[in-house]
Amino acid sequence: MPPRASKRKATASQNSTSVTSADDSPTDKTKTKKTDRLDILFDSYANCSSGIIDPEGIEALCSDINVEHTDVRILMFAWKLKAQRQGYFTRDEWRCGMKALKVDSLSKLKKGLPELEKEVNTPGNFQDFYSYAFRYCLTEEKQKTVDIESVCELLNLVLGSQFQCKVDLLIEYLKIQSDYKAINLDQWMGFLRFCKEISFPDLENYDADLAWPLILDNFVDWMKEKRS
Amino acid sequence: MIDVVAWAVSIRIEAFKHRVVVDPKYADKTWKILEHAIHEIYNHNASGLSFEELYRNAYNMVLHKFGEKLYNGLVDTMTSHLREICKSIEAAQGDSFLEELNRKWNDHNKALQMIRDILMYMDRTYIPSTRKTPVHELGLNLWRDNIIHSSKIHIRLQNTLLELVHRERTGEVIDRGLMRNIVKMLMDLGCSVYQEDFEKPFLEVSAEFYRGESQKFIECCDCGDYLKKAEKRLNEEIERVTHYLDSKSEVKITNVVEKEMIANHMLRLVHMENSGLVNMLLDDKYEDLGRMYNLFRRVPNGLSTIREVMTSHLRETGKQLVTDAERLKDPVEFVQRLLDEKDKYDSIITNAFNNDKTFQNALNSSFEYFINLNARSPEFISLFVDDKLRKGLKGVSEEDVEVILDKVMMLFRYLQEKDVFEKYYKQHLAKRLLSGKTVSDDAERSLIVKLKTECGYQFTSKLEGMFTDMKTSQDTMHGFYASHLELGDARTLVVQVLTTGSWPTQPGVTCNLPAEMSALCEKFRSYYLGTHTGRRLSWQTNMGTADIKATFGKGGQKHELNVSTYQMCVLMLFNNAERLSYKEIEQATEIPAADLKRCLQSMACVKGKNVLRKEPMSKDIGEEDAFFVNDKFTSKFYKVKIGTVVAQKESEPEKQETRQRVEEDRKPQIEAAIVRIMKSRRVLDHNNIITEVTKQLQSRFLANPTEIKKRIESLIERDFLERDSVDRKLYRYLA
Repeated sequence: MPPRASKRKATASQNSTSVTSADDSPTDKTKTKKTDRLDILFDSYANCSSGIIDPEGIEALCSDINVEHTDVRILMFAWKLKAQRQGYFTRDEWRCGMKALKVDSLSKLKKGLPELEKEVNTPGNFQDFYSYAFRYCLTEEKQKTVDIESVCELLNLVLGSQFQCKVDLLIEYLKIQSDYKAINLDQWMGFLRFCKEISFPDLENYDADLAWPLILDNFVDWMKEKRS
Repeated sequence: MIDVVAWAVSIRIEAFKHRVVVDPKYADKTWKILEHAIHEIYNHNASGLSFEELYRNAYNMVLHKFGEKLYNGLVDTMTSHLREICKSIEAAQGDSFLEELNRKWNDHNKALQMIRDILMYMDRTYIPSTRKTPVHELGLNLWRDNIIHSSKIHIRLQNTLLELVHRERTGEVIDRGLMRNIVKMLMDLGCSVYQEDFEKPFLEVSAEFYRGESQKFIECCDCGDYLKKAEKRLNEEIERVTHYLDSKSEVKITNVVEKEMIANHMLRLVHMENSGLVNMLLDDKYEDLGRMYNLFRRVPNGLSTIREVMTSHLRETGKQLVTDAERLKDPVEFVQRLLDEKDKYDSIITNAFNNDKTFQNALNSSFEYFINLNARSPEFISLFVDDKLRKGLKGVSEEDVEVILDKVMMLFRYLQEKDVFEKYYKQHLAKRLLSGKTVSDDAERSLIVKLKTECGYQFTSKLEGMFTDMKTSQDTMHGFYASHLELGDARTLVVQVLTTGSWPTQPGVTCNLPAEMSALCEKFRSYYLGTHTGRRLSWQTNMGTADIKATFGKGGQKHELNVSTYQMCVLMLFNNAERLSYKEIEQATEIPAADLKRCLQSMACVKGKNVLRKEPMSKDIGEEDAFFVNDKFTSKFYKVKIGTVVAQKESEPEKQETRQRVEEDRKPQIEAAIVRIMKSRRVLDHNNIITEVTKQLQSRFLANPTEIKKRIESLIERDFLERDSVDRKLYRYLA
């Protein structure tokens, strides 16, 4: 994809940050300075009329930091920002997220990505991130399920590195089964638990009497048939 | 001869009166007198003795401290006599052995009694204080030790007794009185004597005997005969005991017989080819079965063996019944056969198995098992009822009607999928009501009441609604004609207004009614809607019937035809046309193709009902076919029935459809049950939910655990439930 024309604009005239008064304490000053920078950065990608970063802006951001917008790290970034809507970042989300990452420039952001990855992969955070990844895909109001195709891609993206073999098999099954055309959050969370707890490829410790989602019962049956 | 009875009455203990010192010689002399007396007694010479004198002598000896001498002397004397007696018994030959023994025993007892009377003072004073054995007991012990346990007599006695028992068992007559006396002697000598010297060997020998006999019988007898023989032997032994053995031996000897003759051969008997349990069941051999029951209940696992074999036979037979393709062709026959089988086994259990409840339970569980093997059982039972209510119960008395309906209810209880039955029952009832073809309104209502008692109000509320609709429709018709007097007396139109929720759902189809009808129908419609605002009426043209008068040929045969609404629409077209093609008919009537083809087929291709003629004359209806009125139609009846509104066994696609509808109906029921349970329990684990839900729905159908799981997940998705974050087995109710 050809590099997009950067949307970064001249900053001076667009300086719309909070005005510094003489009474400001030094910390406030540094804070405001930081916020200024973040705002400037934000504005350089935001859509003028809506005031938020839209998919185009995200794509531009991605190319500027040299990461594919389909890379899992972008998803992690969205998680860190606690972005509510897929493909969009609001100013507040941007501010909070970037501050939490302790970065205020693109180069710092790029450097901070490995840190972010490590943070996400801690057991405490990963579950949250995993669940976020699903909910991030619920674009319509009252949508509760995500179609199989997207789920397969998402699984690969999010769990592929940790559980490649399991994920591949799971995706294979999801594509050929016909009981479910979409997956809900409960089933999605079940996948993670399954990968974490069940031994492969024997599936010895899978107890069908426990309350696993039915789709996983069927997956186990399919696996067993395949192997025999 | 001294009268022993008189002695017993006159004995009195004299109080100690005076001290007399006596010299040892006196003791010897006194003893000599007593010793002599004992001899005489044993020699049957007691008549010459004076009781008074002898008693006083014995008394004096004890008084003067010569009790020991007296006692020892007694022992010695008796012993020596017994030794003599022993020799004479030993000398007896053959049968007289026992007689001699018996005689001598009687003598001994009499002697002992007299001796005891004489020595009574010693018995009551010296003996207790020295803890020696009292006289009577001493006499018995001496007899035991010297006679019974003497080396020559001991074994001989045992063998003789056992020999006699054996002879009796092989059919000879023996002297029972003698036996009784001897056995009583052993009993009197002490429990252990009876047991050791007789009972134990008796039981051993009996066991051997019956072991041999049972082996012999089982090789050559069939089951029924064997059991007769076993019963006979058992009764013999019981009788033997009452006649000459200790009553405590009864249970011991019967145990031996039971073990050897029954328990050891139980399985072989039950499974005996051509005569075993299964054959008895098949041939209703009540007497043999009853005998088997009575004998087997005496041995461990006897009844459970019978029950198991009966159950597996029943299940096998039942399974064949319900899967036999031939039988499945006629549902009424199918159900009748089931009822017959139930009746058969009820009789067997009543007449032969003592109404044993465990057998009743086995019967019930077997029926439940195989009736549910065939998924069409609910449908067939409903068809059976339909047949009965249409014609089967014609002319049957009220009580008999109740009996048949109760039997149907009994089968109904065995069904696991009661909701499937409900669906079919509704369909069939609808057809019966609408065609007016029910034999007895009372019978219909009686069955509904029974279903309500069994399943609750919800099961039957819609069915009752159907009856109500029929009644209401009648009233509506009265009202309609009353307000349309211009129609005159001819009641050409009869409308039944059905409430949508109560009747089995039918796809709404209409067709073009002939002009003669449509005006009248419109009149009705406006009348009805006038009196019932806010309702919607839709004509169910696929469910109606019509009676039309037809004249065939020019001035030819006149008949009244009873046809379906569709058929009527088609036939009326021929009032205005000689020949009509399939396409023309289709266009004019707008009847759906499949129904139209069926309709035309029933009027053109069925012998005896061919009011129409078709070209070509093939069996199937082709799009290019042409139809004419069959001027040559004849029937010996004036009224001819052509329409088919009788409930039929469903075709394969119809069956699938019904099954699908049943499955769909089950989903909300399962969900309601889950929610109900979770609402009250708040938190519950997976397995328990499955169990509880199954239990709650059991009266309607057997819930599938996989289906329940699906419903739980659906409820999770809709935020009625959630999984517990810590314990993955638990579900939580979300208020």
